[in-house]
Amino acid sequence: MKPEDHAWRDLRAHASAQLRRGFAERVLRAAHGPEPAAWEQLRAHGAAQLRPGFAERVLRAARAVQAGVPSLFSQFAVGAATAAICLLAVAYFHSRANRLEEERNLAGWQRLAAEVQDLDPTL
Amino acid sequence: MESTATTELADLVRRAQRGDEGAQRELIVAYQHRVAGFVYAMTNRSDYVEDLSQQVFIKMIRALDRLQAPAQFESWLFRLARNTCIDQLRRQKLRRIFLPFGEEHENIPEPPGAVDTEELDALRHALAQLRPQDRALLALVQEGRSHAEIAETLDTSVAAVKARLHRAREHLREHYQTDHET
Repeated sequence: MKPEDHAWRDLRAHASAQLRRGFAERVLRAAHGPEPAAWEQLRAHGAAQLRPGFAERVLRAARAVQAGVPSLFSQFAVGAATAAICLLAVAYFHSRANRLEEERNLAGWQRLAAEVQDLDPTL
Repeated sequence: MESTATTELADLVRRAQRGDEGAQRELIVAYQHRVAGFVYAMTNRSDYVEDLSQQVFIKMIRALDRLQAPAQFESWLFRLARNTCIDQLRRQKLRRIFLPFGEEHENIPEPPGAVDTEELDALRHALAQLRPQDRALLALVQEGRSHAEIAETLDTSVAAVKARLHRAREHLREHYQTDHET
């Protein structure tokens, strides 16, 4: 055997030693994609996560959700009541602010009138 | 034979639509495992399966009276499942943005189970690399949905579904390797 043949053989041996076990299977899997069995295992794993009595729990939760959901009328009633309260509050604070402003203005004018009268008693 | 099954399913759905709790229970029992498998394929999280499956079926019960064609029940149910999972994944993503230090465990992928086979582990890993929309596409195909049904579910054309499915399969194949942990 020629020395270079030895070298080639060693090189091939070194290269093939880099491949881990199951190389061919991995290549085939990568080339063909998942087998139906893998999907089946995935589905089975997912299904196995449901605890017994799942359907009963869903129905109970659905009933609770339905009982907790207010009717359209009650939603409208709550909305209308909220709007009315807000409107009344706005009207009240607006009129109160107006009244206070008027009282302040009136007091100002009265003070001014009194000062003018002090300066010129003939008026 | 298939048309008999379809008729039976449509009858069951009609009864459930009228509020018959027995029929609703039958529907849940008939589809719970398939929906759970779909949810797991979408989220890759065992701890989400029960909660999300429950959400899907509660939505089903609440919206059943709006289903016009009882024969289309299956594709309608999987549309609900898909939307529920995608909403969950979006919420999870937003939570990560706004609460970067909260619930850190959400960022940790589920470790492979003790009894997982190499194939299942590889498939889970490959699915986790895809966009949720692509995962949904592949899972819907695995559930036996036709291209036309998927197109209707996604509100797109059959040609677009085929193209997206082709790309999704390519991506899945690229990532489907058993040596992903190294």
